[in-house]
Amino acid sequence: MDIAAFDAGLLRATLARALRRGGDFAEVFVEDRDTLGLRLEDGRIEQTSGGHEIGAAVRLLSGEHTYYAYSDVLDEAGLTAAADAVAAAVRAGAGASAVVDLGLVRSAPDRHAVRVPPQTVAIARKAELVRAGNEAARAAGAEVAQAIVGYGDTRQKVLIANSLGDLVYDDRTRTRFSVQVVARRGDVIQTGHETVGGSAGFELVDEATARAVALTAAEKALTMLDSRPAPVGDMPVVMANGFGGTLFHEACGHGLEADAVAKDASIYAGKMGEVVAAPIVSAYDDGSLPNGWGSQAFDDEGVPTQKTLVIEGGRLTGYLYDRLRAREAGAAPTGNGRRQSFRHVPIPRMTTTYIAPGDATADDIIAATPRGFYAKSLAGGQVEPASGSFVFGVAEGYLIENGRITAPLRGATLVGNGIDILMRIDMIAADFDVKTGVCGKDGQGVPVGTGQATLRIAEMTVGGTG
Amino acid sequence: MFDILDAVLERAHARGAPDVEVYAERSTSRRIKVYRQEVEQLTAAQRRGLGVRVFASGAVGHAYTSDLSDGALDAVVQRAVDHAAVSDPDDFAAVPEPGGAPADVHPFDERLTRATDERRIELAMSVEAVALAADPRVKSVEDTMYADGEAEVFIASSSGVRGSYRANQCYAFAYVLAEEDGQVETGYSYTVGRALEELDPAACGREAAERACRLLGARKCPSMNAPVVLDPFVSAAFFGVLSAALTADAVQKGRSLFAGREGQQVAGEILELVDDGTLADGLDSAPFDGEGTPCRRTPLIGGGVLQGFLYDTYTGRKAGRGSTGNGLRGSYSGLPGVHPTNLVVSGPVTPLAELIAGLERGVLVTDAVGVHSGANPISGEFSVGISGILIEGGKLTTPVREVTLAGDIISMLTNVRALGDDARWVPGGSILTPSVVIDGMAIGGT
Repeated sequence: MDIAAFDAGLLRATLARALRRGGDFAEVFVEDRDTLGLRLEDGRIEQTSGGHEIGAAVRLLSGEHTYYAYSDVLDEAGLTAAADAVAAAVRAGAGASAVVDLGLVRSAPDRHAVRVPPQTVAIARKAELVRAGNEAARAAGAEVAQAIVGYGDTRQKVLIANSLGDLVYDDRTRTRFSVQVVARRGDVIQTGHETVGGSAGFELVDEATARAVALTAAEKALTMLDSRPAPVGDMPVVMANGFGGTLFHEACGHGLEADAVAKDASIYAGKMGEVVAAPIVSAYDDGSLPNGWGSQAFDDEGVPTQKTLVIEGGRLTGYLYDRLRAREAGAAPTGNGRRQSFRHVPIPRMTTTYIAPGDATADDIIAATPRGFYAKSLAGGQVEPASGSFVFGVAEGYLIENGRITAPLRGATLVGNGIDILMRIDMIAADFDVKTGVCGKDGQGVPVGTGQATLRIAEMTVGGTG
Repeated sequence: MFDILDAVLERAHARGAPDVEVYAERSTSRRIKVYRQEVEQLTAAQRRGLGVRVFASGAVGHAYTSDLSDGALDAVVQRAVDHAAVSDPDDFAAVPEPGGAPADVHPFDERLTRATDERRIELAMSVEAVALAADPRVKSVEDTMYADGEAEVFIASSSGVRGSYRANQCYAFAYVLAEEDGQVETGYSYTVGRALEELDPAACGREAAERACRLLGARKCPSMNAPVVLDPFVSAAFFGVLSAALTADAVQKGRSLFAGREGQQVAGEILELVDDGTLADGLDSAPFDGEGTPCRRTPLIGGGVLQGFLYDTYTGRKAGRGSTGNGLRGSYSGLPGVHPTNLVVSGPVTPLAELIAGLERGVLVTDAVGVHSGANPISGEFSVGISGILIEGGKLTTPVREVTLAGDIISMLTNVRALGDDARWVPGGSILTPSVVIDGMAIGGT
């Protein structure tokens, strides 16, 4: 079944059926998702897996209440059952709103251009890339003990209809290639990880790219074999470009998501227009970044994605909204209503979030730091938006001594509080880069980009064992 | 459903793929969130699908579908065959053989099938109401959720594996924000069971509020090397991470810090760690795993000595032994992998109050942020952010936050000195653990 050609009459009937006992907004989300994943470990492609899932969800909003039902059965019976489930749950009293006629809008095919649709490429060619990545990682050094190489592509087609009359079709392709390397010297084991991903087709990864990704991962692991335990204490921290953007994502981005703001569970609630960062800091969330891993033409509520200025010159200028929270706040949705699949309720989520580049160079920043910690790549982190407290593991870190990067350090963690840290950013370079990741919230994982240029935080807590 | 599984086996055979396994699920679930004594969100869901695993001369191909129409069954079989064609063969990869009678476990309670939405909503409301009333410093309950699910699992293979079972469970959860003098702290709790009657909404709401309020006024403490008491929530998070290193998969691929240490002392002598998929009250208990192998009890650490690892069919064959019934699947769309079922941490216990009274200086750790990102199960090193209460002169004194706890898993296990008398089930990995006292941990503060 081609969901782009889904019966608009059935969609309209489903919306009306969902609204018949009350509610002021109804939506049908139809999804068709095809995935492929290859995984190599121990020199063998040990698993090749893929599949096809289809389904639809019906959502009904009544004031601040959300009713949601989904089904894997994409026919009239399945949609009717889902519409009946939400209609049965809605508390009577609110007047039913009418359904406006539906007119189809399609995403522009060149928005996140897919030059080589992965479905047109033989799986054997994808397997060759995975093997090339393994070869390159193994060749990087005798101490490489293990390489785990993954290739994945997804084509997700969605059709979103709502009672406002929107009918949006979006066809999304994502491709990703990742390598994890384990290096061993005696009892010391270290790991390195590198990934490339985008809202793009098979053209994203050729053999040279696969080898380069593998080599970077291997070099990280090998370098860290020489590492010594990181020191403990407060010190200047220089965050490298790219991966360092996880800092902004965790320390600030989650607090800008409008659900946390609405529940006053964010340190950024009630601070619009106020100073929340150093004057040199401006930041964006951009779901429209061409071919970005976190990009798509429309969000999962059919709202076009956009570039949203969230911090300008240190002042808070914007939150990230889905439809529900925008309605509540009297604001316009910002294209941040995202869901993992039809089995998940859309909520405000980041897309590609980043601190805008400055005009220093990374070398300037290191040279201006007599003693400090250089975080080259982060392992991941967590934050409590309510308090702003966050923690990051550092995958690759170094000591800075006398303005030079010296010994690699292991086992470091960066601990802090969102606004404190943003206020202490005192240098930003121009070497902007974006990395890919999967962000988890409320049990839903969505692809996101995190970015920044090299920057310095004047003081931050480093937790290590040394 | 078995007619569909049999149809898949036949189609695979017709396509020249005689060694095949099919795993299918159908489930229903409810999820209710309340906020300020109103239903914020209600989700009603139905889900079903199947996964096919083809073994072609040792090469594994897997494909899944949520569409169970005739055409889709043809397509999923063809994809599994195509995927096997690009995977590399392995002498030990073969379709699992029947592993005997399923474990005598019945993870299903009829009472849950009679739950109504009214009753579910009432339960969630009462969790929130108790939390809000528990302490004037409770600012709000950011998340209050009730969820339940019922699933029916089916497996059939060309080697004669055939089985099905039904399982259900329900839980409620609260995430509380407390505020004092402009400082916000958070706390959570949950209650789990297989019937609404087994849940304790009042205890859940009260505990979430207490956990948030007890951290108010927290600040950094000086850096020190001192004993810590990990409460059951935090202990479970650590044992969850380290259990990855106790799988044969990690051992055989050089990713385990426990490789080659069987029979050696790896933990404090009092420590027992067991994987048990047959416990009546274990949330992850089942008659058989994702390959049809019966679930069982597997000792991992006894008297501090490493006793063994967890195996699925593949890693068991590679090690020249059988599966321990730990080939688990996240859902029909995933391949089985080696994972723990229910983990049980036990040993001689001491009243928690006595343990704290015995510490001159240390930290009771009630929250650890970043255990999954800050702990490396391969190298065993970890560094996480913690919150908790300072212990001074045998008494709980001031709350602390934004400090780090760092070390390596083996030293930490070796330094386990005592266990509390407060064992409880912690979901999200299904771990039964008491508070754990560990000597000589590096705490990084000011």
